[in-house]
Amino acid sequence: MLSEKIQKILPLVQKPGRYVGGELNSVIKNPADVSVRYAFCFPDTYEIGMSHLGMKILYSVVNRRDDAWCERVFAPADDMEKLMRENEIPLWALESGDPIKDFDLIGFTLQYELSYTNVLNMLDLAGLPIFVADRKELTPLVVAGGPCACNAEPMADFIDVFMLGEGEESTETLVEVIKKHKMLGSDKKTLLRDLASRKGFYVPSFYEVEYNTDGTVKRVTPQENAPAKVEKTIISDMDKVYYPEKFVVPSIEIVHDRVTAEIFRGCIRGCRFCQAGFIYRPIREKSAETVDAQCKTLCETSGYDEISLCSLSTSDYTQLQPLLNSLLDWTVKDNTNIALPSLRVDNFSDELVEKLSLVRRSGLTFAPEAGTQRLRDAINKNVSEEEVLRTANKAFAGGWSAVKLYFMLGLPTETLDDVAGIAELAQKVVDEFYRNPDRPKGKGVQVSVSASSFVPKPFTPFQWEPQDTMEELEAKQKHLRESVKTKKIHISTHETPTSFLEGILARGDRKLSAVIAKAWESGCKFDSWDDQFDFDKWKQAFNECDIDPAFYANRRRSYDEVLPWDHLDYGVSKEFLIKENKKAHLNETTPHCRIKCAGCGSNRLNGGKCDAMRKA
Amino acid sequence: MRCVRLNFSKSGRAVYISHLDINRMMIRALRRANLPIWYTEGFNPHPYIAFALPLSLGQSSDCEYMDIRVEGDISDDEIVSKLNSVLPEGVKIIGASEPVFDPKEIAKAQYFIKLIFSSEAATQNFSQKAEELMNSSEILAEKRGKKGHRKIMKQINLIDYIYDAKISTVSDVVNIQCVLSAGSVNNLNPALLIETLEKLTESEHDMMYIARKKLITASNQAFK
Repeated sequence: MLSEKIQKILPLVQKPGRYVGGELNSVIKNPADVSVRYAFCFPDTYEIGMSHLGMKILYSVVNRRDDAWCERVFAPADDMEKLMRENEIPLWALESGDPIKDFDLIGFTLQYELSYTNVLNMLDLAGLPIFVADRKELTPLVVAGGPCACNAEPMADFIDVFMLGEGEESTETLVEVIKKHKMLGSDKKTLLRDLASRKGFYVPSFYEVEYNTDGTVKRVTPQENAPAKVEKTIISDMDKVYYPEKFVVPSIEIVHDRVTAEIFRGCIRGCRFCQAGFIYRPIREKSAETVDAQCKTLCETSGYDEISLCSLSTSDYTQLQPLLNSLLDWTVKDNTNIALPSLRVDNFSDELVEKLSLVRRSGLTFAPEAGTQRLRDAINKNVSEEEVLRTANKAFAGGWSAVKLYFMLGLPTETLDDVAGIAELAQKVVDEFYRNPDRPKGKGVQVSVSASSFVPKPFTPFQWEPQDTMEELEAKQKHLRESVKTKKIHISTHETPTSFLEGILARGDRKLSAVIAKAWESGCKFDSWDDQFDFDKWKQAFNECDIDPAFYANRRRSYDEVLPWDHLDYGVSKEFLIKENKKAHLNETTPHCRIKCAGCGSNRLNGGKCDAMRKA
Repeated sequence: MRCVRLNFSKSGRAVYISHLDINRMMIRALRRANLPIWYTEGFNPHPYIAFALPLSLGQSSDCEYMDIRVEGDISDDEIVSKLNSVLPEGVKIIGASEPVFDPKEIAKAQYFIKLIFSSEAATQNFSQKAEELMNSSEILAEKRGKKGHRKIMKQINLIDYIYDAKISTVSDVVNIQCVLSAGSVNNLNPALLIETLEKLTESEHDMMYIARKKLITASNQAFK
């Protein structure tokens, strides 16, 4: 399958297993038997991309069809890229080894803004023009989805079609539409017009953007009969939606090498900083029976010895206890471990601790997010100090001696007192350990504090807020380190230029396409990797395009400003987000959706349904 | 509980799976095959599994050996067929039997090496000079070694590690059949032999295929 040219360079690169395919459960078809060939691209390395659940789902969604073949593509590392360019080998798909430039569909998943330059680099390595305007043929059509599609504007010059929302159904639509137009011999515009008329497909070239003299967006005008607002797609019934029975099992070690079982989509919490908490609304649960059956099948077909329950807030799953009971029925005797990420401190029960102790012990991580009650109220985290300490105590009594606490620096309304509060809270956790008579004996306590930098995101109540400047963030990081008095607390922080760039791209408009292209031309890629990120090149790209990055990152927007993503509809209403923003500045909380419906408006896209009202 | 030695091959894309990754892959395959595997006892139970001799990345082989322990009533044939139905492309169980030799007894291995050069002239140049070198008394090479815990480069004479070598050519292809020292004490990686020969003959291949064909014990018996 792999050409001799590829085989020749494989011995010369690190981890050649990244580039060869052939893993268990990967799907091989005869190209002559299918009408549509789909290259699913993850714009990062194999080890990261293969850990991603969305790719596993959509890979199977396409491959269970007889008329289409989906293959996987990842960003080659530096050493491989160099050899590919030297030997003129275009980017290939893992299953067939065929160049992806000959495929019908090239789909990128945009999981984080800092992968944008990798998208350009992969298009270029494939031998395709990076700009939409230079790709005139019907195929390959370049599409992109994932959370970043909710403000895709900075990538508007490079991507033909964005897919908003959940992809299980729209991916099938996409395959069918492209198959039809290939058969009809349509031109590209006809294909795009067809897609733009369907729910969830956003064709940026059909929208004209005009700007005010101050650089803000004046208006966005749809053309070619495209809708004024593009709605995201949503899966209504999580028990009926397709879920793979097999995962491709990587032969080399990857980041998250295990069965991932999705338990629900959406979130009831409404933490004001969290984009996922709003764009995936409304909450929709899978039943415990469905999850249990899917876990069992996936363990059998993969041989994995670990299951990770995946959601935005595991302990909010109303059927967590019954699910754990039925899972433990078979996982214990199969020596299979269960990982529960995303636990909250306010509903971490004794029963849960007991269940977790039955399986192999992994780390415990909690996210108070902010150091003081005032700030936790402002961001609507709805977690109290007592709850954090009570949970820590339960964990210590349950045998844990190391806990990890997540915080953010640079949250709106944050002061240096709030920053010092992080160190104080961590200290209290340390004190609780020594006060706890049931703590693990003969062990010291280790509290790891991870303080990342807050980046305001679209479709959150903080979408109007200025991001802290790099100087402000660095001052806060310094203050935090100086506030810690013991070696039992370990602080880690993020590089501020990376957060700054993320902040710019997250709320950017189409003018940034030129900057991204320029940065990529000057060699930027793998921007999320600290060892590869080159901030000077980005600064130069902004300079050359005469664009002030602070305009995007550090500026407060007014409520009546037209935001670059206002023509995209993710369900949650702007009025609701404004109301939440105002409450944040008054340090007022909003109860979670099971206590009281906050009226976010997201159920409108789900036929009025929302599982938050389902009783626990 | 009984010990079963599985003989497996590695070819095609699977040659790019490292030894450590093969280990993890086999553990998963054992789980998928739902065999009555014996788990180690203790805090972190895992299937018992042991390999005879690691294989370098990029090389194919017909003589990989892995020992497993099974409990209960299951025939060797059933183990082989169940495992083969769950293994990925390029990894295949050839046979199963009771272990005869201790892996420590492995002393040599036979390899088939195929080198493709860009021209017939380059092929001739390499094969003639390589033949001469192999018949000489000294081929010096640098080998990574250890002194206590420190990693060092040591100089070795490859002739001491070569038991047998035949070189033949067909148009632009050089075929080398050789028996080299192998095992935990003295091991010569055929890739190092080729690298050294190419350095000394000032040649560079276009493509190289290395296949391990046989493991041999110190008493000159086929390992099994």
